Amino acid sequence: MARSWATMEDFEAFLDGGGLVEADDAMPDAYRQAVFAFIEMHANSELMGALTERDWIPKTPGLRHKMAVLAKTQDEIGHGHLLYMVAADLGVKTRTQMLEDLFAGRSRFHNVFHYRAVTWGDQVAIAFLVDAAALISQQAVFKNCSYGPYKRILRRIIAEEGFHMRLGEDRMMRIAEGTARQRQMFQESLDRWFWPALQLFGPDSKPDDMLLRWHIKSERNEALRDRWVQRFVPMLQGYGFTVPAPGLRWDDEARRWDVGPIDWAPLRRTLAQGGPDSARRIGEAADNWRRTAWVRTALSDGNGS
Amino acid sequence: MHVYEVFVKKDGRDEFRHAGALEAANDELAVVLAREAYLRRAEGDRLWVVRRDHVVAAADDFVGPNADKPHRHHDGAAVAARRKASRQSQQ
Repeated sequence: MARSWATMEDFEAFLDGGGLVEADDAMPDAYRQAVFAFIEMHANSELMGALTERDWIPKTPGLRHKMAVLAKTQDEIGHGHLLYMVAADLGVKTRTQMLEDLFAGRSRFHNVFHYRAVTWGDQVAIAFLVDAAALISQQAVFKNCSYGPYKRILRRIIAEEGFHMRLGEDRMMRIAEGTARQRQMFQESLDRWFWPALQLFGPDSKPDDMLLRWHIKSERNEALRDRWVQRFVPMLQGYGFTVPAPGLRWDDEARRWDVGPIDWAPLRRTLAQGGPDSARRIGEAADNWRRTAWVRTALSDGNGS
Repeated sequence: MHVYEVFVKKDGRDEFRHAGALEAANDELAVVLAREAYLRRAEGDRLWVVRRDHVVAAADDFVGPNADKPHRHHDGAAVAARRKASRQSQQ
């Protein structure tokens, strides 16, 4: 062990002073568990996202975009690898245990991957709205994260997510400049994906949120959500689409968009693995893991681990 | 399986830098996986992987004392002040 702290007060003073915790430090167990759970969920989300992305490789229109989707799928699998490694180094669970928990529905991943992408428009909406939401929250973590290995790995993940977001906006621009039918398809996708994307940030942070207190996250959920709203509402309207929020209004005094009341019940259902597509998604991921056992055997030292 | 630490260098600038870690069965697969996970967009053109159990790490309390050796530095302030005074007196 490199460093240790006599009390939680000492540790928190270290964090408040901008200290970075390393994997071999004797960090308090509550911090270890909290940072582990956060990274595990991020890793799971990358893997679940990559599997959805992969489903669309054969269906993506045009060779250029097909190749980009292939690269994006590889990026996300790569992010999963990087993050599972960082998480495993915390010594709470091995990578195999994390994957077993994911496939058994015992651990969490982002709400947006509990919904089904039905049309190409849905994929565009995900690439545009969801990737941006993920990027906004990752940037906020990266800025001030007290766990060194996670902060460092986020630097490269964020760089690659930047490519994905630009790709998403490029696709959105094309569909917006397309035929009436294409525009209609995207409007329907927007109706399905606007709220799940907005809810990716989660409900307002609680006053006693330990992730904030320990500088694992550096900004409150509502601040991040608001950043996304202020950026995407005018952008979607600029492309001529309707934001599917009945309570949407421009607050002229505050110079900001207000989306009105948010129904958090759908988010809570996804957190309990009860989203519209949760069971199928988890089942597919587990099947995929079994089907690819031969690859892991080929790449392993013979024990299949 | 072994854990490997990954180091990357961009030719012509910077030192080798630690990029992260990965799990691989052997050295040959470790460089393949390192290329695919850490050098996807030419982030470097030189790559080292080192098995984590081969890394020799010094203890913090062995390294620590060198943070407290001010006599190994010189801020040059006294000499600079003397030079300045000398220049001014010559004007």
